[in-house]
Amino acid sequence: MATSAVKHGELVTLEELNPSSPHFTQGASLRVTGKLQEYNVDTAVALIVDGNASLKIDTQHLKVNLRMGSLYQFIGEMLIQPPNEAILKARVGRNVDGMDLNLYHQSLQLLKEFQADQMIERTH
Amino acid sequence: MDSLRNTHVKLLAFDFLNLRPYAGDQNSCFRKGKRLSRAETLGIVVTREFKSNKFLKFTIDDGTGCITCILWLNHFNSPYFSRRNPSDVRQIAQVATNFASDVQLGVLARVRGRLTNYRGAIQITVSDVVVERDPNMQILHWLDCIALARKCYDK
Repeated sequence: MATSAVKHGELVTLEELNPSSPHFTQGASLRVTGKLQEYNVDTAVALIVDGNASLKIDTQHLKVNLRMGSLYQFIGEMLIQPPNEAILKARVGRNVDGMDLNLYHQSLQLLKEFQADQMIERTH
Repeated sequence: MDSLRNTHVKLLAFDFLNLRPYAGDQNSCFRKGKRLSRAETLGIVVTREFKSNKFLKFTIDDGTGCITCILWLNHFNSPYFSRRNPSDVRQIAQVATNFASDVQLGVLARVRGRLTNYRGAIQITVSDVVVERDPNMQILHWLDCIALARKCYDK
């Protein structure tokens, strides 16, 4: 199997990102989606929410206009500080207003099932 | 075996990264015993390396993997194009330049092109690029790839 120089952002929902999740690891590359709830101009740290879950995003390397209440998607690496505080150091971000979040969540399930089926098929 | 050979096959990146080079033709690959020569991907542009009048090399992340794409911009110094009508070459070069300016970090891009093997890795040599404004296109692309694989490509 070929490999790429850049790690892809694994698709995760904010609700999946709890300390027991396999994605909750130092340096994990993730793609997350949520509504912008807070933004600190001094630190460039944003807080996005999806349902009852939230995640801090370090946006200092991005050139994206952030608007409160808008939906954003970020790709970056997880930085975990003790005891269990996570922040995503974003390398790419974009506004995804208009995206159907229910359809997105349902499609993620289908996509993961499909990937798992294909992997099983390849190992047999 | 060759039914998909001239089709732009919609592939998820994890599937693309499992393609095997076809011995004897560096512009073809195998996917589950079927020979492919073209592909379509859709995802977020996560890297961009621009060499003026040479190429734009960029990476598409569709959430399942990353695909390297190369867009040639060497139309005025390539021997291949020197044999062609200069006004055609100017038009082709202008289209490629427009694609290159569309491909910016963070945009959602649909890329079609030829499968090429470079230093043992398969990449897409770009034929066309469309920047998608509707974020739902990423979802539709995933569903298209799943349906096509199950109902067509795997048959």
